[in-house]
Amino acid sequence: MRAAIHTAVLFARRAGKRTAAPLGRRALLLCVSCLLGFCVWLGAARADEARAFQIIVHVENPLSVAERELLADAFLKRASRWPDGEAIAPVDQKFGAPVRAQFSNVVLKRSVAAVRSYWQQRIFSGRGVPPPEVESDAAAVRYVKQHRGGVGYVSSHADTRDVKVLTLR
Amino acid sequence: MNFWGSSIRVLSGGILGLTWVHAAHGQNLELENNASVETHGFVSQGYIKSTDNNYLGPSERGSFEFTEAGINFTYSTNENLRIGLQIFAHDLGSLGNYSPQFDWYYIDYLFWDWLGLRAGRTKLPFGLYNEFSDIDSARVPVLLPQSVYPVTSRESLLAQTGVELYGQAPLGPAGSLEYRIYGGTIFLSPDNVSASFRDFTVPYLMGGRLMWMLPLEGLSLGASIQRLRLDFDYTPTPEEIAAYQMAGALPPDFAGTLDVRVPFWLWVASAEYQAGDLLVAAEYTESRAELQSTLAVPCTRVVAKGAYGSASYRVLPWLSPGVYFSAHVPDPCGRTGPAKHQYDAALTLRFDLNEHWLFKVEGHYMNGTAQLDPALNDDAPLNTLTSSWGVLLLKTTAYF
Repeated sequence: MRAAIHTAVLFARRAGKRTAAPLGRRALLLCVSCLLGFCVWLGAARADEARAFQIIVHVENPLSVAERELLADAFLKRASRWPDGEAIAPVDQKFGAPVRAQFSNVVLKRSVAAVRSYWQQRIFSGRGVPPPEVESDAAAVRYVKQHRGGVGYVSSHADTRDVKVLTLR
Repeated sequence: MNFWGSSIRVLSGGILGLTWVHAAHGQNLELENNASVETHGFVSQGYIKSTDNNYLGPSERGSFEFTEAGINFTYSTNENLRIGLQIFAHDLGSLGNYSPQFDWYYIDYLFWDWLGLRAGRTKLPFGLYNEFSDIDSARVPVLLPQSVYPVTSRESLLAQTGVELYGQAPLGPAGSLEYRIYGGTIFLSPDNVSASFRDFTVPYLMGGRLMWMLPLEGLSLGASIQRLRLDFDYTPTPEEIAAYQMAGALPPDFAGTLDVRVPFWLWVASAEYQAGDLLVAAEYTESRAELQSTLAVPCTRVVAKGAYGSASYRVLPWLSPGVYFSAHVPDPCGRTGPAKHQYDAALTLRFDLNEHWLFKVEGHYMNGTAQLDPALNDDAPLNTLTSSWGVLLLKTTAYF
């Protein structure tokens, strides 16, 4: 994050040194700099979020790496089966859980509220129902352990001895 | 208050109670063998006030005739088979009148991710939001842009009874495609029957939608097309008969009633971008209709056009502002002055009071009268109504 701010400040200073540039152009450069800095900061923040949760599956799941796109499709119920043909059984954590927000931003690339709107659309137009929600990391682990095609996410400090942790790619 | 009015109040009360219960205990009933029954519902009450012109109801004096309630049940036996139904009732001015109806019901079987089959009464995938136009909790605006999703066409454009094929296919680095193809008919509600227009039927309806999810996360482009034919009997009033006779428009064998057929073509081009809490969308639509009857009228082929651009952003967990600009341009035949268009600039604030309850405030600045209903405005010609006017909408929805 510091690097991001530094980059933005450096960019802005360089822009500022070009005193011959009209005020409008300098302001534009400053805005672009801030935008670039914000994007870099956002990327860094998202990278931090990626480390704040773990993806868990049933111990018999043959995968060791989880593709982000497959996970997103599984949790939005756009994909129904794992590559080995097993039915995917995703489980969400409760609305408002910090780990859900992190998972949603990193894997689904949408906020929890946007995902909720997506499910409201599906529910009330008869297009489907969301994954079940559980109250805690322990409940998510329990659900995944009980379902052969189960997949969930838990916080980085959760006890995952009964399930398999996948690397997110 | 009529029987249905009382019924919907009971239904609304029940849904409010269920909202409270489900907020506390959840709504998923797990059965054996991974089967489950899910129950969801919503109830909304709105208020409409316009500065001039009656819009969607008696809005000039302020109207609470803006109520919706629905409850649905979905039974999933396994990951492939699903059965569901939704009961819905609404009141919007002269529409709905609290009459409960099966909004949708279906049996759905997913063979593979790229092929599923649904049969029953299903919502029509037309544009980005047609299927969701009743679902207040799933969007920021109170009214969707009326140039593409006219609320007064709810009865005829929202759902069909028939079959649908659907699926999704990955395209590798090019993203993925989602398709929907459907065919069937629409059973129009008897509420639509008036003294002059009767026996509405839709002999056929078919269409499809293709959505391309591009590699840029959150960006999707779509195209929807629909073909249908509307048949009905038209019994002109004595005044209309006199006018037609003056113009020489009546057929020689006229016996009081005319058979009318109106084939329609409708299409929409759509673009949507969603990133985090930002949602930007734009759509363009055209509808073409051809009046087929023995009545010799000047406008037998009509083309209506509509477009909008919208954006919304959740700035706080409980606050989402949204804006859109919508333009509706009907066929110019027979229209003059402000009746030739309706432009609509809207600003909405959505407040999420908690996980199951929201409140919205929405203001519209309108220019033009093309989408106003003469019946709500003392049967005045549309070009004589106030051309620049405003609308305020308030709406609250509880849902689970």
